[in-house]
Amino acid sequence: MSPIGQCLAAFLFGSVAGLLVQRSRFCNTAALRDAMLFKTYRNTKALLVCMMILTIGFTAFITVGEGHTMHFDVGVNQMLGLFLFGIGMVLAGACTVSTWVKAGEGNVGAIWALLFTFIGMFLFSLLWSHSYWPPAPGSMDHLPHLEALQFGYANAATLQAKTGIPAIFFGLFQALVLFGIYRAILRKEARIAQEHAETAAQQATTEASMDSGIA
Amino acid sequence: MEFFKKTLDPVIALTIIALLDIFLFLVVGAWTVGGGETMMTGLIAKFFMGDKLHQIPFWDIVFKPDATYWKIYISLGMLFGSIVGAFLSKEFYWRVPRHLSEWIMITVGGLLMGIGIRLAFVCNVSTFFGLTPEMNLGGYLSISGIIAGAWVGSLIYKKVLGG
Repeated sequence: MSPIGQCLAAFLFGSVAGLLVQRSRFCNTAALRDAMLFKTYRNTKALLVCMMILTIGFTAFITVGEGHTMHFDVGVNQMLGLFLFGIGMVLAGACTVSTWVKAGEGNVGAIWALLFTFIGMFLFSLLWSHSYWPPAPGSMDHLPHLEALQFGYANAATLQAKTGIPAIFFGLFQALVLFGIYRAILRKEARIAQEHAETAAQQATTEASMDSGIA
Repeated sequence: MEFFKKTLDPVIALTIIALLDIFLFLVVGAWTVGGGETMMTGLIAKFFMGDKLHQIPFWDIVFKPDATYWKIYISLGMLFGSIVGAFLSKEFYWRVPRHLSEWIMITVGGLLMGIGIRLAFVCNVSTFFGLTPEMNLGGYLSISGIIAGAWVGSLIYKKVLGG
């Protein structure tokens, strides 16, 4: 596909995603933060459903050699980077998607967060230009380099190539694990709802007995 | 139109996004935001610094500024889609953080997000909607990082709100 075609496809996808996220108030930050802080799972459930569909879809196409997988070596830097990112998104109250979506709703805080994300990236580019770590994609050879805290390249396609088992089977297993987490959340929600109902009923009984006492 | 009056169930929204993301994966690559933002940073820096930018090796070796980089247009699309949604549902209005503590948290949060994305090569979108569904080892590393980070962030958030 030509670069213009790629940009157009990306813009179309982004527009629909932006519209749907705006209308549904979905937030990736809330999916993690609300589950941890408030024990509410509205966004977490949507995230899990999306991941289940994507896992099955991606691995099905990977099985037949289709699709553009992300192609770079991974290492400790993914864990460290997303650790910093995780702190940042909770403090900023928005992740990469919601900063754009909230900016589109006129949220000045989100525009400010975007500006500082850019500044953070630029600061890191200065740091990288001294450390040259993590390794540049051009120098990656898909092999583990433990001295550089790099583990190489592995995904559903390499699993299929190494084991001879179609990638979709691994995908189905992962989707099943995600479904297990989803089910556990549903059970937890039901338990919380039941506890609330019991407390409300208890309060009603106490109030009724107090009323009859007064009478 | 009902669509612009009621809040959409996020499960429905994310199901549609997932199907479209599979299509994008086939055409050009899975949904991602961090790469496009980095390219935008490079383009903005080039606008201000000109050829001096290339004295910083990162912008020569890792990200050469290129306006035809497709990932930029996902972000611009999201901004456009959100503006359309916000205007049609009459939800657009300027919201400005009121307290200094909010401004500080957003500033630090933004910086950490930018540094984190570049350190990891991926953002939260690639983590949940790209790497992990592709069963990339990096996806599992990223998820463990972001969960730990969100937990630490939540503790700080609680402390700041409590204070």
